[in-house]
Amino acid sequence: MCLRMMGIVPALPATWMKKSFLPVLSAGLLLWSAAPTRAAGAGQRIEKQFSITGRPVVVIHNVANGRIDVKSWKNSEVNIVGTQTSNKIGFDIEQVGDRIDVTANVLDASARPLELEANLQLTVPEETELQLKTETGLIYVEQVVGDMKLESYAGDVHLKEVSGYIIVKTTSGSLVCTQCAGKLDFSSIGGNAQILQPQLNNVNLMTTTGNILFDGDFVRTGLYSMKSGRGLVEVRFSSTDSFDLKAQTSTGVVDNQANAFLKPDSHGAKHLPSKFVHGLVGTVGQGLAKVELSSYSGTIRIMKRD
Amino acid sequence: MQCKDVELVLEQEGLEPLPEEARAHLVECRDCRNYIADLTSVIDAAKKLPQEITPPDRVWISLRAQLEEEGIIRTPAEVIPAEPVSLWQSINAFFSNRVLATAMVGILIAAAAVFQIRSDRTTRVVPPVQTAKVQPMVPAAKPTVTKPTEAASTVTASTVSQPSGEFDRTARDLNDQEPVATGMLLTSSSPIDVSLRDNLKKVNEFIAECERHLKEQPQDELTREYLSAAYQQKAELLSAMIERGRSVN
Repeated sequence: MCLRMMGIVPALPATWMKKSFLPVLSAGLLLWSAAPTRAAGAGQRIEKQFSITGRPVVVIHNVANGRIDVKSWKNSEVNIVGTQTSNKIGFDIEQVGDRIDVTANVLDASARPLELEANLQLTVPEETELQLKTETGLIYVEQVVGDMKLESYAGDVHLKEVSGYIIVKTTSGSLVCTQCAGKLDFSSIGGNAQILQPQLNNVNLMTTTGNILFDGDFVRTGLYSMKSGRGLVEVRFSSTDSFDLKAQTSTGVVDNQANAFLKPDSHGAKHLPSKFVHGLVGTVGQGLAKVELSSYSGTIRIMKRD
Repeated sequence: MQCKDVELVLEQEGLEPLPEEARAHLVECRDCRNYIADLTSVIDAAKKLPQEITPPDRVWISLRAQLEEEGIIRTPAEVIPAEPVSLWQSINAFFSNRVLATAMVGILIAAAAVFQIRSDRTTRVVPPVQTAKVQPMVPAAKPTVTKPTEAASTVTASTVSQPSGEFDRTARDLNDQEPVATGMLLTSSSPIDVSLRDNLKKVNEFIAECERHLKEQPQDELTREYLSAAYQQKAELLSAMIERGRSVN
């Protein structure tokens, strides 16, 4: 009507309008009607709480894509909140004594990746053992004390203020471990490892192509082994640390930026470098901890923190 | 005869000779044929293992974790060395579950890799040791960062299949498994499968690089350690791919 009032005549006859507009309108209506269905699928949520009498063991196997968050509280309960983007994923949650198993299953094998997102948020007692396995999502654990095994294909693993025997295994996911204590084993093909402000007394880090950063104190009598096939291995220590250092590489480089703090190794023949590798041995302080760094073809960088 | 009947026959009587009914069923049932193929590969791998092999602790740990994950054992159990049962009985016990059979393939490959590497190390003829120069603090010999080697982006199993001496058998076993594992995920475009394939390529490239270096510097123990670790990673990766392929398909 407005067009006619302005003296503009539609350029196309009404039959064209019918032919072209109606299909578009139909498609629009179809999409509009489909949208609420997807929205209903999105945001599905499940919440369960389990009472615990002792130290719980929580086992999660998330075969969908999504993140797993684990935090602690003072209650003797495990609270689990699962969210999913579609009804093509199902959660199986089971309690057997103090063990709680959570499995996210794919119910429809033809589902698209976007429909296979399942996130889990757990709140657990501070002293809890964890065994978490996921495929692509982030695993985040904060303030939990207990042994834990965390596995992921492509997802990263972030740990903050956790302690215990920590095993992290990824294919390409990276590890960031902040203020962790206890023993840490990390192995990966392409993932990086960042260990920040640790209180770890036993560390084994191994990655084929990823980088390793250790920024923190070496606990006296601690054992530290960090290996990267092709990546950078960087260690930042403080002048009050006490450790023996051995760094070696086959075809890479040792970049020693802390020469002033490294004394000749006082423990002598225990640390003979191989004639086939490049490297250095030295001691900081009394050499109480043992630090072994190696890289096949990457760079090993040794620095003192400010 | 149904699939479960075939499984029962296999558990009780082993692979050969299969009854006529079972053979008839196999002709029609692709799943059972795949199952038989799995068993055959497990047995082949098992035959290559010496009887006295002691798998490393991590094999038991991962096996135990798998069993707990499957709900077959529910209480934390001590890691116990193998009972004195025959290898065939042990394998039979796991045949009822395909996932476990798949996991076993991977574990056996890993165990074979470890054993091969260790046994080769102990039997390898070490050339006369040259006196190493004692250098209490040796600065890095090379002032510049090493350039990446020219690892071709097309490194595949075929390029890795010509390893130097001691890793021959490990490489051959793994390369035999590689087409199976990659074939299972070949058509998948999911990010996780793409990531697995990409990582397999990385490991293959790294293995090829270490192999080349070891040919030039056979006494380089550090490279040997990295090569050994890379083969173990490859074994685990192939196992993961096979397991995932089973669950996807």
